[in-house]
Amino acid sequence: MKIHLRITRELLANARSDLTRPHAFAHERVGFTACKFGSVQNGDIVILAHSYYPVADEDYIRDSRYGALIGSEAFRKAFQLAYSNNVGLFHTHLHPHQGLPRPSRIDLRETAKFVPDFFNVRLALPHGALILSRDSLSGRVWTSAQMPPKPISHITIVGAPIETLGCRK
Amino acid sequence: MMNRSERQSFLGEDSDTILSALRVAIVGLGGGGSHIVQQLAHIGVGHFLIMDHDQIEASNLNRLVGGTAADVRRSEWKAAIAARVIRRVNPRAKTIAECTRWEERAELLRSCDIIFGCIDSFSGRAELETVARRYLIPYIDIGMDVHEQGARFSITGQVALSMPGYACLRCMNIIRPELLAEEARKYGASGGKPQVVWPNGVLASLAVGVMMQLVTPWHDEHQPVHLLEYDGNVPEIHPASSTGFLTAVDCSHYGSAADLGNPWYGRLVHR
Repeated sequence: MKIHLRITRELLANARSDLTRPHAFAHERVGFTACKFGSVQNGDIVILAHSYYPVADEDYIRDSRYGALIGSEAFRKAFQLAYSNNVGLFHTHLHPHQGLPRPSRIDLRETAKFVPDFFNVRLALPHGALILSRDSLSGRVWTSAQMPPKPISHITIVGAPIETLGCRK
Repeated sequence: MMNRSERQSFLGEDSDTILSALRVAIVGLGGGGSHIVQQLAHIGVGHFLIMDHDQIEASNLNRLVGGTAADVRRSEWKAAIAARVIRRVNPRAKTIAECTRWEERAELLRSCDIIFGCIDSFSGRAELETVARRYLIPYIDIGMDVHEQGARFSITGQVALSMPGYACLRCMNIIRPELLAEEARKYGASGGKPQVVWPNGVLASLAVGVMMQLVTPWHDEHQPVHLLEYDGNVPEIHPASSTGFLTAVDCSHYGSAADLGNPWYGRLVHR
């Protein structure tokens, strides 16, 4: 199964703009991207990014071990969003460099803890994590709480110009 | 030895790679669609989905690029003619040719990067745009009309780019309730609209230009125009006077999360 993400250039710019804002004490910011899904041939999935929701300033927790740590209220709001709008949730943050971003060990460990919880509110939809860089992005997708995530194989940034990242073969 | 894209190298050093990976759907392979197919094959597009449920008739020969008298004699499918045009120009291109109504194989459109709509009916264009919007795919629509004005005729047309997040065909006033109602009232009425090859060619070329501005822009100050209008009598092509509005408009016809993706998506879950 291959996974393809489509996201508009405008939505991506909004997310980058939010994620690069300084916070009073957190070293980085976090948001959630709400997505819908389409099935393509051969069981492949196309993820359709719909909107980006920043985590509110007051929902960050002071903890110097992490670039950003968000509290239960941030997750509660995200869960509400997934429940009310029938969307998949993608935890979204930014690595401040150029080129393809790769998840850090902390990213891998922490997302493996909390992304499966998203299935508690929207059991039938995929969920995941997106990492943006200054000029690229990557992501992983969980299709169930029990299975390990799969990488997004190919991303289309829809806008002027249209840009394709990764390999669709 | 020169390669096939030597003369279009100004489109960027990676333009060959971009174009050969591109998946383009052309729905409707008559006067407009057949021109678009031919141009995209020359440009080097690598993946085609071509859809038309019609077979060629003698009355199509005045404008259908690639169609021959022999095709008319054997009532060849328009999709098969278009596939032949592609194969002859660029044998490396991969083509899926569907000789059915596009609605019957609409799922094939979901993996395309761009959809061209070259169909006559307003309801068909509205439905095709809805599919494109639902899967965040840019949709380029072409339309041409010959209007009778007493003893004279005027030729007009337009190319519209319906881009996710921006103005749609309804915002552009191309799809209007009264046009849909009028069409529904005439449903089943026989007789084709007047069509001629040169305005089809002009509009198809403009539409291909819009696509090329999206995929391999050659000038960073010029963005694709959402609506280009063609007056075939003057003749003149110009961006619609509403271009400023169309660029800024927040489309109210599409945009909610419910408008995206499969109408139903998910696994069957047994608790």
